[in-house]
Order: sequence, then structure tokens, then C-alpha cells
Amino acid sequence: MKPTVVKRDLVEDYAIDEGVKKLTPERIEKVVNDVIDNETAGRLWTYLNTCIHCGLCAEACQWYISNDRDVSYAPVTKVKDTIWPMIEKKGKVDAEFIKRAAVISFTECSVCRRCGMYCPFGIDIAYMLLMVRRICARLDMVPLYLQDTVHSHAATMNQMWVKPDEWIDTLQWQEEEAQGYVPTSRIPLEKEGAEIMYSVIGPEPKFLAQLLGNISVIMKVADQDWTMPAYAGWDNSNMAMYSGDFEVMARVERLHHETAQRLKVKKIVMGECGHAFRGAEYDGPTWLGWMSPPIPLIHAIEFYEELLRTGRIKIAKKIEGPVTVQDPCNVVRNRGLGDKLRYIMNAVCEDFVDVSPNKRFNYCCNAGGGVINCGPPWKKKRVEGNRIKAEQLKRTGAHTVVTPCHNCHSGIEDIVDTFKLGMHVKFFSELLIEAMDIPANLKA
Amino acid sequence: MYEFVRGPLALIAFIIFFAGSIYRIAYMLKGAKKDKIVFSHMSWKHSLASLVHWLIPFNNQYMRRRPIFTVVTFAFHICLVIGPLLLLGHVMLIQESWNISWWTLSETLVDWMTVVVIAGAAFFLYRRLSDPVVKNVTDSSDYILLAITVLPFITGFVAYHQLFAYKTMLIIHILAGEIMLIAIPFTRLSHMLFFAFTRTYYGSESGLVRHSKDW
Amino acid sequence: MVNIQKWDWNTKEKMVADTTGWPNQFEDVQEPYVSPDGEKIASIVKQGEGEYSVCVNGETWEEPFEKLWSCRFTPDGRVSVMSSRDMEWTMTVDGEPWETAYEYIWDPKFSADGKLIVATVKQDDIFGIVTNGTTWECPTELQSISSFVMTPDAQTVAAIAQTVPLGQADVDTYYKGTWSIVVNGKPWENNYVNLYGVAVSDDGSTVAAEHRAAITDHTILVNGVPWSEMYSCTWEPMFHPKKNDEVTAPVRQGGKWYLATNGRIVWDRGYVNILNPRYNVDGTKIAAVVATSFAKWTVAVDDKPWSCTFGECVLPPCFDSQGVTAVAIARDSGKWFMVADGKVIGDPCDNIWPPVFSPDGDKMFYKIEKNGKFYIAVNGKIATGAYDMLWDPILSTNGADVLIRGIEDGKYYRRVVASAAM
Ligand code: HEM
Ligand code: SF4
Ligand code: SF4
Ligand code: SF4
Repeated sequence: MKPTVVKRDLVEDYAIDEGVKKLTPERIEKVVNDVIDNETAGRLWTYLNTCIHCGLCAEACQWYISNDRDVSYAPVTKVKDTIWPMIEKKGKVDAEFIKRAAVISFTECSVCRRCGMYCPFGIDIAYMLLMVRRICARLDMVPLYLQDTVHSHAATMNQMWVKPDEWIDTLQWQEEEAQGYVPTSRIPLEKEGAEIMYSVIGPEPKFLAQLLGNISVIMKVADQDWTMPAYAGWDNSNMAMYSGDFEVMARVERLHHETAQRLKVKKIVMGECGHAFRGAEYDGPTWLGWMSPPIPLIHAIEFYEELLRTGRIKIAKKIEGPVTVQDPCNVVRNRGLGDKLRYIMNAVCEDFVDVSPNKRFNYCCNAGGGVINCGPPWKKKRVEGNRIKAEQLKRTGAHTVVTPCHNCHSGIEDIVDTFKLGMHVKFFSELLIEAMDIPANLKA
Repeated sequence: MYEFVRGPLALIAFIIFFAGSIYRIAYMLKGAKKDKIVFSHMSWKHSLASLVHWLIPFNNQYMRRRPIFTVVTFAFHICLVIGPLLLLGHVMLIQESWNISWWTLSETLVDWMTVVVIAGAAFFLYRRLSDPVVKNVTDSSDYILLAITVLPFITGFVAYHQLFAYKTMLIIHILAGEIMLIAIPFTRLSHMLFFAFTRTYYGSESGLVRHSKDW
Repeated sequence: MVNIQKWDWNTKEKMVADTTGWPNQFEDVQEPYVSPDGEKIASIVKQGEGEYSVCVNGETWEEPFEKLWSCRFTPDGRVSVMSSRDMEWTMTVDGEPWETAYEYIWDPKFSADGKLIVATVKQDDIFGIVTNGTTWECPTELQSISSFVMTPDAQTVAAIAQTVPLGQADVDTYYKGTWSIVVNGKPWENNYVNLYGVAVSDDGSTVAAEHRAAITDHTILVNGVPWSEMYSCTWEPMFHPKKNDEVTAPVRQGGKWYLATNGRIVWDRGYVNILNPRYNVDGTKIAAVVATSFAKWTVAVDDKPWSCTFGECVLPPCFDSQGVTAVAIARDSGKWFMVADGKVIGDPCDNIWPPVFSPDGDKMFYKIEKNGKFYIAVNGKIATGAYDMLWDPILSTNGADVLIRGIEDGKYYRRVVASAAM
């Protein structure tokens, strides 16, 4: 099978461009075969022997549709240009091939699993592309910014090089901010035996600290018994899962879950993030041998749904005007939280306008799966490769789009800017803070 | 010649088909076990739900979006599997050889089913040549598989209608059928064997583990 | 060690403090902590805007602080808390701040006798370890300290520290190594890509850690010397309690986990995972949490797994005081179980804390939670009334008495119960 002809602007990426120089045929062969023989088994084999090359998965992929149905972006093409030849040639592929495989698997697929829903056999293409990433990672062929993020995970156990003192300091600063609203707001640190451990992703203390203040107010209003870890283990995010560095992925997840065990909590509630949920709920535990997290994990959507449904939080004034939502793949298609998401949207918005397609059929934001973490060099392709997302959002006519996922948030912001949609991009908690009722006895 | 292809060769083809299928499924299950998570992710309920949604036409969103394709592929596969199985001629041969028999369809119906299979194959061939995505992932093996699939039907049709050289045609038809049987376990036609497994695994993972749906 | 025999083991019951009034006295009252001897209960309290203090048995410290966090009792019964005034932080013990203040201070640990408090500090962007107000002297300007461990006497402190500054997205420097182990201020000779799981032998002579050199290249370093074998992954090493030259760690090879001592595989059964191995007192046995297959968790003792498995998880095991019976807390179907030598002890609970053992090893005492109330259980049987808050039980040296510290209806009680009666 001849490799697919692709037309792409040349993108410079230091790690890939330097990495490719260090590849030798022997090293490639050894790594490819080791991963195929020892790190994959029944699933990959069966998928390869079942795929009838029918191309039905193409229609699923936002990259393919947005790029005017450029065949090189079809899911099956991405497999054809990566893992098929690796197996067929028993690892005897050249350095340029590996480079192309890295570019495809890291920057042209967000492993969102939409295509799996379109394949009549249920072939999990995202899984296969993750195995391609694994091979690339073991060959040191990971895009620079993604690799740097993984280095941060490996060195600090958080995604953003947040140093131990910065973490606690930020929480204390945000606690003070929150006390501006509700004087008794607190971010209880290291409170053993609390009901809830709340964990967030590295970018929150780094760039979006106000979200930590918000949660402190929300927890107070909802009268929750909660805590946050003061030490490493507080970050629930995991870019190593996406770079193919499963050892670091597992180490990060183990620490996160053992932190919950150490704090003796009943459950972990995590902030609004899709990939972090996937890593902490599925990929990490699976590698470690846990069927699900040893201490149950709940995504913010589920948590807010419960607080609103049980009346622990009451809405004082709903958000006015049309508001729409981005269904994050990793908590909706891959976790079934679509209905709960709609419950909370309707609870706080006067005029919630749904997207179409929605829920598990929603288009991925194109930022997930580590794609946005590949950094500025790859941004243009990522944003332009999701025109249908822009069109879909535009059709809603909303002034605000809610993204209960950090990657979606950044990805949608880029899309809103590039396609001039003139929308606000917000986390759900930001709407909740605006809309919720703060009881008189808590007010400043 | 005729005696050979319909006697010992047919037996060999059936043995290879059944033994090969068992071997390939066993091999797959062994691999699934090595994958360590597969069996813990399986669930009867979600497996069944997935099968119901993917084996009944228009029972998932995707099929509804592609009505023509859905009609063609269902017609093609139903006729492909049912036609030969319930053809009087085939059943009689099997009865002669092994003394088992079953219910059959009218010959005219099976004749029409054969036409459907051939038409379906023509449709797939057309897609392969015209749809850029399919074309891009097609190599000679795909054409060969399509040929292996359709040849027994074309030859059967020609032989039945005695369009020319009946005897030769019949021999070629039987041979083509035997090639198809042998090919099923060892080529991507084994999707017939694996469909149930890939489908139910994906359904189970989506339902049991990811609390979602795969249709 | 603290001489616990000096504590009051005679008073059967003492209502140490009634905390019910505290919330009316202060703007906010944080969760309470109690001293090991049970004589004190303390909470951080908010007295006003930017005014925090600690309320100990109803009395607050004289001078308030701008901020306080991590109120913990030292083993010898003093209240330690990290405090801030004028944007500077330090450790405050029983209301007295250390003389020196820092940009930041965190992660306090106490020597076994409680005399020494060790913590991580940052000053002028340089990280260090401080012991009772004295920062170690380190020739290298440390860029970060990710964690530290110390001997029970706190005389030897070993930290995983960043020894080389690293620019943004500078992968080349990263691969050359930017981390090292610093022991009492003295860094190891080499720098490494990543280090984890630092451990120190009880005598302080030997320090071990995991080294991740590359994605699938891991090994164990002992005083800077690597094991001869590389593994695709490792978990943190531990020292034999009696031999400072015997280091054991879980290692991963060919997709399975084994236990290795000094680079030699000693558990060769191969597991889906091995977590948290622990020695018994004299080092004759090892127990570890293992997954015998996917989502089947149990404890293996000397490479022999228990026959019962648990679907969710097993917490780090321990041995009884005689070093014979292995005990672990396990979770299945959302409930916690106490398990000893592979047998479930008592009913499932909503939470279980690690046990303490009688000197002969026959009895174990531990805190449990059921329906939002807390109890002390003994060998599976609830042996106390219900508490709203409860701390771990403490046994007298001879094991005759059990000290129970708990809150009922806002009143904090210190009770001594004969262990035979439980
Ligand atoms: C009875 C179980 C079978 C199932 C569930 C099944 C299912 C499928 C599915 C899901 C496809 C994908 C595309 C489509 O829907 O057309 C497909 C394609 C195909 N199947 Fe089957 N199949 C079965 C048996 C067979 C057999 C026995 C043959 C022939 C020996 C066969 C020949 C083909 C061919 C040639 C295609 C390719 C169409 C193309 O070229 O795009 N199938 N099958
Ligand atoms: S981006 Fe999503 S739909 Fe496209 S190939 Fe990747 S997983 Fe499939
Ligand atoms: S839809 Fe499934 S079988 Fe068809 S090409 Fe895509 S992966 Fe292969
Ligand atoms: S970032 Fe959001 S939409 Fe995109 S893959 Fe993740 S969860 Fe999906």
C-alpha cells in the first residue's frame, strides 16, 4: 500500500526535528517490535485482522470534515500511514516514516474516540493511535511542548512546573480572595478524614487561580466537608498518558490516588477537565491494575448536578441570553455525562441552546488528546482543522459557550478567536458563581 | 474432476474452514487474555445492547445517516450468508454426502439473492474505485477479497442459468466456493468471525467502563 | 522516643475541653487536633480579618498571626503551626515563632522524640531544609525540593532536590540531569534526570532512591551507586530494618512486577502490580500489596499471595508487633475490610484506620467509621461507644491500657480503658 500523499505546511518542532536525526534503523526496529510484541496483544491483532478497509470511520472525524474531506485526515488513513506498515514490515521502517507517524498521531488526532462509534466493527482507532504514540515516545519523537509538559509531570508530579511552595501559596491567596465574597470561605489543606478530596490540574494554580477561589466559595455555600492536598499528588492531570509515557502516567496517577487514600476521604471530586478525568478514571488505573480509582472519582459535572438537584446550591438569578455548551469527549462520549451536563446548564441558564450534533456525537474541540499541548508550532493546523466546530457553535447564536474541560476551554477560545465568533468561553463554575444564591448568614 | 472437487476437496475446504475458524478465534482469545483488561471489561448486558444496535438495520444513528449504504450492506450480507445456505441444490449435496438436511428457499428467490450479492459487490467495487478515502486504503488484497467473495455467486448464477459450458462452470463454481470457505479464517474475511467479538468488546467498554453507548 | 509511660494512665475519664462554645467565640474554627498524650485539643481559629490564632483547650495564644496553617502536635505534645507575619513565614511552636522567618515553609516532620522539627523552606528563591530554625548549609543553590525523608532521630535528612536551573522547554539540559539527592546539605556527585522514592536507613548511613533515566530505563541508586540491572519501571525502595546494605524495591520487567533486593529478583512470581512492600520488625518477612491479575488485589507475604482478593484496592500492609501476622485494610464494592493473614476480620466499614498491636501481637486496636460515627474496634469487634470525632488509639508500653481520645457532642474526652476489658 502506498503511503498517502499529503500536502501540509512544514512545521518546525525542535524535539521532532532533532529526534529524527538520532534514529537508526536498528533502534526503530527494536522499539517497534518490542511495543507490538510485548505491549499490545489481542485487541490490536484483532483490529488489524478485522478492518475491512471500508472507510466508514472517515465521516466521524472533525479533522477530516473540516479539511474539506482531505483523505489524509480520515481515521483509517491515520492507521494506514502508521501502524499498518510498522507491522507489515516488522519494524523495518525509516526515520522519516517515524517522523510522519509522530506528526499524525500527536498533531492530527485528538484520540477523542468519535470514530470508534462509526466503525461497524467497533474498532478502536484512538487506541491504535495511542500505541503509535507509545512507539514514538520510546523513540524520543514527541513534540517539544508536549514532551516538556511530560518532563514537568515526571519532575514535579504536576503539569506546569509548579513548585511545592507556589502551590500552597496560591491556595492561600485564593482563600483570601474567596473570603472577600464569603468571609468564612476556606481551602482546608490536608484535612484527614474529610468527605471529599478536591483535585485540579496544574494550569489552575498557574494561570486560572480564580477557579480555586470559586470552588472555595461553592464548597462553603454547599456546606461540603472537603480538603485539598498541600503536597504533590494534588494534580489530577496527565499529559504523559497522551505522550505515550505510560510509566510516568502511572506514577502520577498512583500518587494522586494514594494521596486520596492517605487523606482517608470518601471520594475525589475533580475540577472541570476532560483529559484529567480520563487519565485518573481510566487510563492510569488500568495500567496500575485498578478497574476504577481505588477511591471513587467524580467529575465536576456530576458534583454540580448533585448539588443543584438536591438543592444544596440554589440559583438566585439565572444567566440571561443564549448560552451553549461544549460536550467534552472524555466526560460525555467517554463517560456518559451528557444528560447531567444539560441538567446543570438548564439550572443556571435562562436560555440554554443545545449544539447539534450533541452529547456523545459531539465534535471534539481538537485541543484534547494532547494536541494543544504540542504548542504554538502546531496551533494553526489544530484550529483550522476544526472549522465544523466553529460552524456548529455559530449556529447556536449563543453569547457564551461553557466548556467543562480545560483543554476544550483553551481549544474553543482559539476557535472563537480565529473564526471571529465573538463568544465568551467559560467554565461552568464561573456561571455558577454568578448565578448562585449566597445565603444571608454567609455574606460579607 | 467434478467428483474430486465436490467430494474430497469439499470436505477439506469445510475442515479448513471450521478448524481454521476455531484456531483463529482461539488465537484471538489468547491474545485478549494477554491484554489483561479485556475480560474484566466484558459485560453481557452491554454486549447484547451493542449487537442489537448494530445487527438491526437503522438501529443506530450512523446507519440512519447513510441509508443507501445500510440497505446495500444488509442486503448483500443477508443474501451472501442465507442464499447459499438455504439453496436446495446445496442442501441436497450435503444430504448426499453427510446425510443431513434442512429447510430450503425457492430457487427463484435464491437466484434473486445471488443477483443482490453481485450487485452489492459491484457497489462495493464502485466505492473502492470512487470514494477517495476507500481508494486510498485499498490495495490488491481488497480486490482479491471482493473477487473471492463474489466469484462463487457469479459462477453459480452462470451455471444455474446454463449460460455456457455448464459442467465447467459448475466445477469452477464449486472451486470458487471452496476458496471462499478456506479464505474466510485466514484473510480479512475473518471479520465474519471477529465481528461479534470486536463489537461486544467495544459495546462493553463503552457501556460498563465508560458509562456511555457505542451506537 | 517519647516515654509514654509517664503519661497519666490512671485517670479513667477526663473531659479535657468543651468545644461547643468555640464557634460562637471566634469567626471561624478549623478542625481540631489532639496531643498524643490526649491532654490537649487545638484548633486554628479566626479572630478577625487577617487575625488567626490557635485555641488550645479553650485558651488562645496571645499574639495573633496574619495566617496559620497545618496545626499539628509534635510527639512530645507541643503545638506546631506554620505562621505568617509581615508576608514572612516561619514555624511557631506553642505560640513562639522561630527566630528566623522565610519566604515560605512547608512539609514539617518531627523526630521521634519530638524535640526536632524539620521542614522545607524557601529563601531568596533558594530551597533548603531547616531543623529547629537552622537551615542546612548546601554548596549548591537548590532550585526546588520535591520531597525529603529523615532518620527517626532527625539527624540525617535526605532530600530530592533540583540542583541545576532549567529554562523553559529546555529538554537538552533536562536530559543531562537536573536533580540530585542532598544528604544533610551535601549533594551527591551526579545529577540525574528524575529521582523518586528516596529512603534512608535508620542509622543514616545509606540513602536509596529510584532513578528514571529515560522512558523505560529505571533503576535503584544506593548512595549514588546504581544497581546493575535496569527495569522498565520501579517503585520506591525500602531498607531492611537491621541491615543498612539491603535495599528492596518492586521492579517491572516484561510487563510484570517483581520484588528485587540489591538488584536481584527475590519475588519471581510476577504480578500485575506490587505496591508498598513492608518488612516485619526483625526483617524476616516482607508483605506487599499485589494484584495477582487485573483488578484482583491482595497481599503477598514472601511472594505467596493470600487466597482472597479484593476488587478495589488494598492499603499498605503491616505486621503485628511479633512480626508474624500480616494485616492490611482492603476495599471491595465500596466497603472497607480489615484483613489479617488473608481472613476478613469483623464487618465491613465505611472507613478503617491502621491498627496498633498489643505487645504479644494477639490484639489489634483500630479506629473505624460506620454511618458517620467513629469507634475503636478490637479484632473486628466494636469496643467503644460512638464518637463524632476520634483519634487513633494508643497502647501503654506494657499493653495493659488503651488511651482513647475522642469528641462526643462537642466535648473532648480523654479516656483510659484496660485493654483486657475491650
Ligand atoms: C456473517 C457475518 C458477517 C458480518 C457481521 C459482516 C460484517 C461486515 C461489515 C460490518 C462490513 C463493513 C462494511 C459494510 O457494512 O459493508 C463488511 C464488509 C464486507 N464483508 Fe462482511 N460480514 C459477515 C460475513 C461476510 C462473509 C461471509 C463475507 C464473504 C465471504 C463477507 C464479505 C464482505 C466483503 C467483501 C466486505 C467488503 C465491502 C467493501 O469492499 O467495502 N462478509 N462485512
Ligand atoms: S481525532 Fe477522533 S475521530 Fe479523528 S481519528 Fe482521532 S480519535 Fe478518530
Ligand atoms: S470503519 Fe472500521 S472497518 Fe471500516 S475502515 Fe474504518 S476502522 Fe476499518
Ligand atoms: S479537550 Fe475536550 S473535546 Fe477535546 S478531546 Fe478533550 S475532552 Fe474532547
